[in-house]
Formats: sequence, C-alpha cells, structure tokens
Amino acid sequence: MPGGRIPVFVVTGFLDSGKTTLLNDLLNRGDWGEISILVAQFESGEVDFHSKNGNCENIVFPKKMLDTQPEEIVRRLAERLADREYDEIWIEWNGVAALSRLYDIVLHRDLRKICEISRIAHVVDAGRLEPLISGSGGALLDQIGNSDFAVVRDSPRIKEDARLEAVRLLRAVNPGIRICGANSYNDIHRSLFRKKRSQLVVFSILTVLMALSYLAAKPLLEANGVPINKVVNVFLGITLQAVPFLLIGVHLSAAIEIFVDKAAIERRFPKTVGAGMAAAVAAGFCLPVCDCASIPIFRSLLRKGVPLPVAITFLMSAPVTNPVVILSTYYAFGGNLRIVAGRVFLGVVSAAVIGLLFALGGGKSSILKGGAFERISCSCGCWEDAAPASFSGRLGLFFRHAQTEFFSAAGYLIVGIFISSLLQSAGGDIFSFTGGGAGLAASMAVMMAAGFVLSLCSSSDAVVARSFASQFPAGAVMAFLVFGPMMDIKNFMMLSYGFTRSFILKLSAAAFLVSFSAVFAFSSIVGW
Amino acid sequence: MVKLRTLNAQVFLETLCCVVFSGLVAYLVWRGRYLYYVTPRMKPYLYFTAAVMLIWACAGLPRLFAPRNRTRSAHCFSLAVPILLLVLPHSSLNTSDLSYNFARGGILGLSSSQSANGEPLPMPGGPGASMPDDGDIARVLASSEEEFYAEIPSNVYDYFTSMDETGQELDLSLYDEWGFEEDIDSDVSYDLAYDYGDDSDDALSGLDVAAKRITISDDEFYQWLDRLFFDPDPYEGYVIRMTGFVLKDPKLLEPDEFVPARLVMSCCVADLLPFGMICRSEYVGELQADSWVTVEGVIRITEENGYREPQAWVTEVVPADEVEGYIYPF
Repeated sequence: MPGGRIPVFVVTGFLDSGKTTLLNDLLNRGDWGEISILVAQFESGEVDFHSKNGNCENIVFPKKMLDTQPEEIVRRLAERLADREYDEIWIEWNGVAALSRLYDIVLHRDLRKICEISRIAHVVDAGRLEPLISGSGGALLDQIGNSDFAVVRDSPRIKEDARLEAVRLLRAVNPGIRICGANSYNDIHRSLFRKKRSQLVVFSILTVLMALSYLAAKPLLEANGVPINKVVNVFLGITLQAVPFLLIGVHLSAAIEIFVDKAAIERRFPKTVGAGMAAAVAAGFCLPVCDCASIPIFRSLLRKGVPLPVAITFLMSAPVTNPVVILSTYYAFGGNLRIVAGRVFLGVVSAAVIGLLFALGGGKSSILKGGAFERISCSCGCWEDAAPASFSGRLGLFFRHAQTEFFSAAGYLIVGIFISSLLQSAGGDIFSFTGGGAGLAASMAVMMAAGFVLSLCSSSDAVVARSFASQFPAGAVMAFLVFGPMMDIKNFMMLSYGFTRSFILKLSAAAFLVSFSAVFAFSSIVGW
Repeated sequence: MVKLRTLNAQVFLETLCCVVFSGLVAYLVWRGRYLYYVTPRMKPYLYFTAAVMLIWACAGLPRLFAPRNRTRSAHCFSLAVPILLLVLPHSSLNTSDLSYNFARGGILGLSSSQSANGEPLPMPGGPGASMPDDGDIARVLASSEEEFYAEIPSNVYDYFTSMDETGQELDLSLYDEWGFEEDIDSDVSYDLAYDYGDDSDDALSGLDVAAKRITISDDEFYQWLDRLFFDPDPYEGYVIRMTGFVLKDPKLLEPDEFVPARLVMSCCVADLLPFGMICRSEYVGELQADSWVTVEGVIRITEENGYREPQAWVTEVVPADEVEGYIYPF
C-alpha cells in the first residue's frame, strides 16, 4: 500500500465464538476478491481458514509462541511483509490474550512503520456471552472494551431475550459499541470502513461550540427574562459543594474495591439480616460521608457481595447519621439535642424499614446496570492488569478506579444539579413556600418536595432547614431533614450511573413513603 | 530505541480536565472568589479537591501513551462543563437576581421571631398599647406623624411570623419546650459562628452607649442585627447607622418601608437571601431600588402579632459605595 501503512483489521472473540467463520465469510466475498490479504491467526479452532480466490495468505502462530517468543512473531511477520506487498492484514486474535500484547507486536519498531491497527471487531456467540463473562478473566472484557464494533452471532435456538441480554452486556462493558448481526454484511462493511473521528478533535469542537452557544444565548435568554445568570451561579454553587464529597466517596469506594477481599467480607460479615443492618448503621456512623459519597460506596459494597437490604440500609442511613451531619445539625439548631436525636432516630428507623422492604419484596433480579459483568469486575477499563500484587501497583489502580468512578458518576451528578438549579431559578424562590394553613401532612409533603428539588449536601442542609423552622411545623422540618439526604434530584440522577431505572424508582418511592410515615407517626406521638 | 507510541486521547483529556479543574479551584480559593458560590466552610474541602485532581493527573501520566483502540471523551464533559461555566462570563448574584423575599434579622437564628413565652408582649408605651391586636399595631405607633392605611397583604407576614391564613399560630413552642431558648442563651451557636464568647457586649464594635449610637461596620452587619433582633430592648431609642442596598417590594413591605439589606448565604449560592432591618421613612418613594445607601435612624421596637422586632425610624439616607461580598452566618 504505497504512501501509507497497511491497515490491520483485528477479529477478537472467545474460543469458538466464530472468528474464523467470520473471516471465511467476509474475505471470500467479492468485496475482498481483488486485493491481497495476509491473515495471521493466533488461535486454531475447529474451523480452518481457507481462501477461495487465492488472494489471501495465512500464517498461524500458536499460543505458546505468543507467550514465550513474541519477538519471533514480530520477525516472521516482518519477513512476510517484506516479501510481498499486502493491501490488508487481518488478525484473528487469541480469545484469552489481552490486546495489549497485540499492541506490543504491532507497535514493535520493526512493524509499526509498515502497518497500523485500523479496526478491532469482537465476535460474540449470543447464547454464551453471559456465562463467559462471569467465568473468564479480564482478557475477554479487555477485548470487548477495546473493540470498535461487535458481531453478534445467533442461531435459531437462541431466544431473542438472550440476544438482547448479550447486547446489554456488550454495551455495559463498552458503552456506545456498534452492534452488527453476523449476517448483515453491509453493517459489518460500514463498521469496518467508516471514518474514525479523533476524540481530541470531537471534544475540542464540542467544547468550543458549547462556549460559543453559551455566549450567544446568554443575552438572548436574559432579554427574554430567563434568569440564566442565576442558573449558572446556583449550578456552580451546588457543584462546588458536591464535588469534594463525591471525591471522598469514590476513594472510599475504590478502597473497598481494591484493598478489601471479597472472601473476607463474606467470611466476616454478619450472617443474619438484622445484625447486618446494625453493622450497616454502625458503618454509616463511622464514615463522615454525605449522600454524594455514599452512593459509590453502596455500589462497591453490593459488588463485594453485601446483601441488598443491608447495603440499602447503609445507603439510606449513612448520610443522616454520620458525625459531620450530626454536628452540623447540632450547631444549626442551636444545640437542640431533641432535633438532633429525632433526626438520627428517624433516619435510622426509616433506613432499616426501607432495607427490610427490599428484603421482603426484593426479587433476585439484578439491580446493577451491567448485570453479571458488574459483579465480577469494576468498569474502570483496567482489566488487563486486574490484580497487581505490588502495593504501588494497587495504589495506582486505586486512583484509577476512583477517577473512573468519579467521571461516570459526575456526569449524572451535574445533570441532576443542572435540573435542580433550573427548577430553583425558574420556579420562583423555593424558600417562599409558606407552610401556613396546611395540615402537617401537606406541609411535610411540601418540605420533602423542597428537599428533593434543592439537592443540598446533607452535611449542610440543617442550616437551611433551620431557616424553614419559623414557617413550618417541626414535623415538616424533620421530614426535610430525614428525606432530603436519602433521595433528591442529584442522588436520583447519580444512582443512574450504576443501577437500573426500575430499582431507582422503587427505592425513591420506598424512601418517600417510609420516611413520610415515620416522621408523621413520630410527630403525632410527640405532638409536633 | 524507545518505543514510540501514539497519544492516548482519553487519558490526555482526562488529565487535562483534572489539571485545569484543580488549578481553577485552587485559584478560586486563593483569590477568595469561591465565596461567591459557597461559604468559607468549604475552603478545606476545595483544597482537598484541587489536591486530588492533581494527584489523578499525575497518576494518569504513565498511561498517556498507553495504546488503546477505543477511547472516549464524553465523560470528560462532567468536568469540562463546570470549568466552562466558571471561566465564561457570569456575574455574581445580586439582589436583582433574587425574587424578593427577605429575612429579618434573626429569622435565620429563629431567636427573634418568637417572644420568650409566645405571648404578645406589652407595647413599649404609646397609644399602641391599648389598640386591639389586629396586626396593625406597628402602624399605630407612628400614627402621630404619619398616616398608614394600606392593608397588609394577608400572605406577607405569614412568612415571617408563622401565622397561617386562618390566624392559627403554628406550634413553634416546641423549640422552646425542648430547650431551644436555653441553649441559645448558652451561646453554643454563637461561639462557633462568630467567636464572640461570653461577654459578647464588648466584642462588637461601633457601640457608643453615652451618645446612644450604634455605628454598624460592614463586617459586623449580621452580628449586630442578630443581636438587635435577639434582644432589642437595651437598644431602643439608639441611633443606628448601617449600609445596605435598598430593598422595597410592595408585596413584602408597606409603601413607607424599605430594608437596607445585605445578601446572606447560609449553605451555598442557591439559598442567597436578602437580610436586614425594616426602616420607615415617608421618602421611600424617592429611593432607588437596589441602590446602595447608608441609613441612619432611631431604633423603635414594634410588634407584629405578638412577635417583637426592632425597626429604624429613618432620619438620614445617603448614597454609599457597594459593599462587596455576601454574609456567611454559619
């Protein structure tokens, strides 16, 4: 190929997923009839590669050579490429080898001037993906995560559900991956040759466009009475308040992920649900985290095998019962211990009841977005070095995991904050709700709605609650203090990064109903 | 020969966003600009954020040239968007951005919006004392000089006095009952918030007992008003001098009332609220809303539905320079 490097097309996939079959199907078609192709196979399966048109040469490297003599592979490839001019190189990669080893070969100094990787495809047998992902190591995830598109092979005996599940898994590992059916050659062809845009360019263009549209739209919106300036300020205010706590959360979560052994949790964790919940409340008390921080921890607890009701109890109680929140409530209410005690008590009771509800009614269906994949691995794309033994290696992985989790959660967080700031700016002043005239239930509902919309950090919401205290009955203020940290717009959005929509809706409904009932009953008893 | 490798766009963008965000947050804190968005309490947390982002950026450097076929960039917008909004022009919020509502001194502290036992206190002399408690007492006080005729819009004072529309009083006594007042007296919150200790009388400047004058400096605006609303009696008849922007709103205030207010942030910019003491003057119409003024007046204690609060009978209003920054009570 004069003037450029030979494009390398890589076909990945687990053993017997149909990689060679795909090569046979594709390269023997008319589209490829006129060009000369080198096919390098790093695996020999049940099907052999055969070229009908005689324009493909193939060369096979056994896995053993890949493991022990990668230099030899480079030498042989370079030799072949020197012999003859090829238009394309196709590589059938080994199903259990990480792609980084392919990069080591292709980017070797003897090869990188001759050829470059163009596209990576992943071949999947729809019926086998889930067990494979649960059972095999990081190499498969690494291959899926690095592929430009997936070819999903199904057969009549595979149900549509299995196909959809496979697609869902692929998207969980590699969001936005293109999916092609094994028989849709047009799709595959398009996926192979469509222009690949540089992320740097795309990102820069989008950033500039956003800046320009902000500058252009601002005067227009202001002229039409849209308080854009207020939206921006409120957005930045809540963001600057939430980000530090999210950072704390993702680091604690990463610590659990990297440094805590799953077996140790299973061995030491209380066996009964009740004891587990007590442990969850105690853990919540010990961790100075607010609601932004408890969501990532919740997720990693679940992945480490902590039972759902226990993890939910932690998620719901930690933002209310931890020392930072208790102290800030104490000071905000001028040292009123009853308010503090009421908040902690009602928070713990509500959290335990919500946990129990999920223990009673919760099915076994997966609530984590990625299903099987989530349970065995983090989504941070660090599969190739999944378990480094050295401490410094683990430390690097720790930061990497925290960073990845931050980025995935922060996207949802800022969308939630943006919605909240829009509502706060557009819906007039939320602080002007008057609780007067309404009964306790109605003012509680108003205060809980305010808590949901305001999306305050639980470490400082007590101060705002106190400013409501002269307009609302104490029960309503208490409802705000208990429900707000459990669920608000920003939490709702942030849960979306790791959990299914139906779970989030159930959890929100449970949090609302339980905390409402608890506060209402308590208020009636003590006469608020 | 060193292996030449291509730049990993994803790691590059992540690192770039982290570095920029870290620098920006550090700059905001260093220049004090973060105070437009959050309260001083967030300072250590923001330093922490800047440090973590910097560590992440460093931790990402070794992977900057790690080859990866499929890279992403969309997630970087979760930092890029806040960065853009921080950098792009926007002004800090001022009163015109806020829908009008305001906190009287003490409403944040709850202390002044209730009398000691929830009973209406006797009026401090004057003809008002014998008037029926129909919510118009404050006006009667001044009726020798001025005429007040407007009805109070029914919803306005509900907000401040916790009276609902049916006139039924909400149960604030709970806070008393549970020891709220005593705890206030023990200065738990005050020590923490303003650090003026037990003999708080000496801690605030600008008090001239001999001349019966209080000159409130801009730094002590909140503390002084909180003191006056918490315990107004010793200061009745004093001449008070303070600076704020003119807040007048027919929905909240009478035609002869305005508030020289400052903005108070108790949590973050989302809860910014004007805060001040009601001033009375027949020349309110001539004041321009949102302009900054220094006001001098005589403190009188008035009463609304059993809740006493100090107000200032204005003797002088002069234009003033804008006072920068918000007030952070907690």
